[in-house]
Amino acid sequence: MRNTYLRLMQLVTGILIAVLLGIHIVIMHLDAILGFFEVDVTEPTSWESMIGRASQAIWVGLYIALLAVVLYHALNGLRGIILELTPSARTERIVTWVIIAFGIIAFIGSSYVPLALLIS
Amino acid sequence: MTEEDSIKQITLKVQRYNPEQDSTPHFQEFLVPVSRGTTVLEGLLYIKENLDSTLTFRTSCRMAICGSCGMLINNYPHLACHTQIEEFHSDTLTIKPLPNLPILKDLVTDLIPFFNTHKSIKPYTIRHETEEMENPTAEFTQTPQELETFLQFTYCVKCGICISACPTSASDKLFLGPQALAQCFRYCADNRDEGWQERFLLVDTDHGIWRCHLAGACSEACPKGLDPALAIQLLKRRLISQAMGLRKKQQSSPVASPITETKGKVPFPEFTAKES
Amino acid sequence: MKQMQPRQNYMGPGGWVWAGKYKLERYLYLLHRITGLGILLFLILHLCMTTIFRIQGQDVWEATMALLHNPWFKIGEYLVCAALIYHALNGLRLILQELGFALGRPTPPVYPYKDALRKKRPWTIAMIAVIAILALVFFYDFIVGGW
Repeated sequence: MRNTYLRLMQLVTGILIAVLLGIHIVIMHLDAILGFFEVDVTEPTSWESMIGRASQAIWVGLYIALLAVVLYHALNGLRGIILELTPSARTERIVTWVIIAFGIIAFIGSSYVPLALLIS
Repeated sequence: MTEEDSIKQITLKVQRYNPEQDSTPHFQEFLVPVSRGTTVLEGLLYIKENLDSTLTFRTSCRMAICGSCGMLINNYPHLACHTQIEEFHSDTLTIKPLPNLPILKDLVTDLIPFFNTHKSIKPYTIRHETEEMENPTAEFTQTPQELETFLQFTYCVKCGICISACPTSASDKLFLGPQALAQCFRYCADNRDEGWQERFLLVDTDHGIWRCHLAGACSEACPKGLDPALAIQLLKRRLISQAMGLRKKQQSSPVASPITETKGKVPFPEFTAKES
Repeated sequence: MKQMQPRQNYMGPGGWVWAGKYKLERYLYLLHRITGLGILLFLILHLCMTTIFRIQGQDVWEATMALLHNPWFKIGEYLVCAALIYHALNGLRLILQELGFALGRPTPPVYPYKDALRKKRPWTIAMIAVIAILALVFFYDFIVGGW
């Protein structure tokens, strides 16, 4: 039932992404509309705003959780697309391990920066 | 008496491929007289009888029940016996064999891999009571409501049109295909069958049910209204319920109990002349 | 008699894109795949940018942000947002339909045949309408706020 679990996790991470990424995009992009709701979020891409978020544990937690679910969802989907091109069994194994390695490296590399800034 | 059926001349562009002579397929055009109600199959038979007797295609029942004559007509898979030439409103029809299946000759595709995939999901009732299966005493009972959960998927004629429509089957040679997956659901949903655990392991592979992405082309193209997409999604629901441990324990249907008591006969007048 | 090899007749990945005049859901699947791959590419660039350009300090960060306020990049950013909206809402529809919740029950086939996806197509059209509305909302915000 391994593939069933993989697809089930894809669906669950999909819903989690819809929530977490929704928050991320609304904060980053919808300045004018958030202004209607009187949420003050000026210039979210500026250095001060970003460092301010990076020092709050809840934002760092949100970003790391978002990173984990997005990496799983995207790389599992990519693996599915590559498998549908019917490579040989050996190529399938190589592709699976390359994707897992890429996922782990990307996760560690990208979560290191906010965590290091939070702790320091 | 009736209005005169006008006879039009329609061009049929048929893909020809003779493995002994050609290296690649090519098209050949034929002019075929068509009146109201002429099917594509009748057009092909006209060609074979009058114009080119080497044209090769499969046909049997000519009434959309055997599934032999599936072919790509104007880039959409149809059963040739079930498709009228006039419904295309065009002077030219392009006829090709079904894609995603190997071509043997002209419009004939090799269906052996298709049947082998069907066999691989165990399309027969599996019961664990070997004594009853080998020496049957009575039938397994099933209510009409239980029959409705899978009856629609029993009408499959194994024509291969859904395989031609499926985008995953276009690139994935090991994919089970909508036909095999729908038949797997037909047996798993049948409450006379107890083999769902084996079948779940057979479809839960790297090239099994989870490579289906609900494009819905199989159901749209199916000539018997089978809706394999619905069967596959219902099977996915069962697989996920099983994986999450939410599956309800289902009783498989019991053997019918022998009838011990017959109702009394209704009094009925004797019609036979008795010798008095 | 020489045994003839049957000729392979697969459509290949071209068959994902175009195989004939199929209906809506087949192209929703194709667009879901394209947006997924596009978002994956954007994700890799985004992760590289927010880590590499951040640890190099404030000046590099602000120079990068100034570069990214270029209209061409803003258009690309909007396309990524639209792709995300489509992928998310279509994904929610797929979750409901792939688990068989929103597809109804099997019914004996009576001609003319209507498959389950066709019967539920009004809901799919409603989902597309929601996607269009959200895309317009984001577009308004990009024009008003983002430049």
